[in-house]
Amino acid sequence: MKKLIITLIAIIFIVAVMALINSCATSKDVAEKSGSELWGENCGRCHNSPSPSDFSDTQWEIIGNHMKLRANFSDEEVNKMVKFLQSGN
Amino acid sequence: MKTALLLLSLLMLALVTANAQDSTQTELDTKILSDAPGNTKFMLTGAAWFGFEANQKKDVQVNFNSYGFSPIFLWKLSDKLFFESEIEIDNGEMELEFAKLSYSLNKYMTIGAGRMLSPFGAYGERWEPVFIEKFPNSPIRARSDYLPGSTHLNWGAIMGIDVRGNIPLGSAKMNYVLFVSNGPTLDNGSEDPKKGGIIDYENLDDNNTNKEIGGRIGFLPFSNSSLEIGLSGRHGIAGNQNDPLYSNIAATSYAIDLSYVESIELISSNIGIKGQFNALTVDKASYPVPGDTTGLMYSFDNTMQNYFVQVSVSPAMLSNHFLKNLELLFRYNSLTPPKDAVWGAKDASGKGGSITRADIGLCYWLSWRVGLRFAYEMSSYPDGTKVNEILGRFVMGF
Repeated sequence: MKKLIITLIAIIFIVAVMALINSCATSKDVAEKSGSELWGENCGRCHNSPSPSDFSDTQWEIIGNHMKLRANFSDEEVNKMVKFLQSGN
Repeated sequence: MKTALLLLSLLMLALVTANAQDSTQTELDTKILSDAPGNTKFMLTGAAWFGFEANQKKDVQVNFNSYGFSPIFLWKLSDKLFFESEIEIDNGEMELEFAKLSYSLNKYMTIGAGRMLSPFGAYGERWEPVFIEKFPNSPIRARSDYLPGSTHLNWGAIMGIDVRGNIPLGSAKMNYVLFVSNGPTLDNGSEDPKKGGIIDYENLDDNNTNKEIGGRIGFLPFSNSSLEIGLSGRHGIAGNQNDPLYSNIAATSYAIDLSYVESIELISSNIGIKGQFNALTVDKASYPVPGDTTGLMYSFDNTMQNYFVQVSVSPAMLSNHFLKNLELLFRYNSLTPPKDAVWGAKDASGKGGSITRADIGLCYWLSWRVGLRFAYEMSSYPDGTKVNEILGRFVMGF
């Protein structure tokens, strides 16, 4: 029980930190990055970067969700990368 | 005439009604379709592999001894709900690796529940999948290759709940995972005294009410995300709650992981550096002495460390098609089990020490997800034993 309380406090702390830092949010140069830039920078950190034509539009959407969880990407990053990859089809 | 007008009116009424019904039906169909299972987005992905090992000192010097298939099922149930699962069939043995349902609470936080890959460190979640692992072997891990049991510290599944997300920090980024799980189990040595004190983090059916708490914070200081430094920790009671000698024995672990990628035009290559350090501490406890029938117990400093550091160079910017698909790899691994435990590698005088291994690897990419991997691994044990092997693996991601 004590551990669960600690966990809850930790989660509340994280949310508070997020709310605080969200006011400074992403810098302009990072926010303006295109989907292709994000694709080039992020995929290759763990594995080779796939080609946009390797998967269908629907598959890219699903892969986006999977990678959001696996690599902890933000919604904005995933949406930009998915749109870029879908544009190749 | 009157009859004709009446019929015309009825016909118009019928058409209007039919049109209204059509619109209602269309709206209904749209609603039903949007909620129907047929509208769920599904994808089957995964990997398959086949490998061999060659060792001149073994009876069978060349052995095709490794094969597997691991389909991953991904379902996007809605914009917020996502399910993912993997079944691995490794050398004929089938296991559900993970089955996890996630719900996106907001753009900074997703909550997940189920059997999931351990978010402790980076190796288990990100680098272990066979088509991502560039070597034909894994880094040295605290498992049954070197110990009487597997700890599942660096890699494995946990049962529980996690909360994860991403936090923007100006030009930098931070990501986090917090989890509550069943936690580890402690082997008290009652069944096999040679295993007394070993921890197993893959606990699918808990032995106590206490739940483990852990997490990982990843920090990416550069705007191009080339460097990520991760810090992980976990703590929980490992002893069986019905066993008074061990009911309060806890296990605490922490890990530091690092990954860095850079393109260097001078050598027309991409370089990658990865590594992870893990440390495990189990509270002091006494365990049965193997071979003793008088109830004699002994205790030891139950701490363990292991790490690996990996460097890869890929001349991907060369124009030569063959060379640009090559990747050269080097990895150094170490595992130090508890020095005074009856288990773990020992030197000639019975004193424990570290097992080390150096891996030199070569990977040839037939496509971005299909590769041939080769490695020459050189292992050293505390008693001076040295084992050298050549390993190969053909891997296909799909």
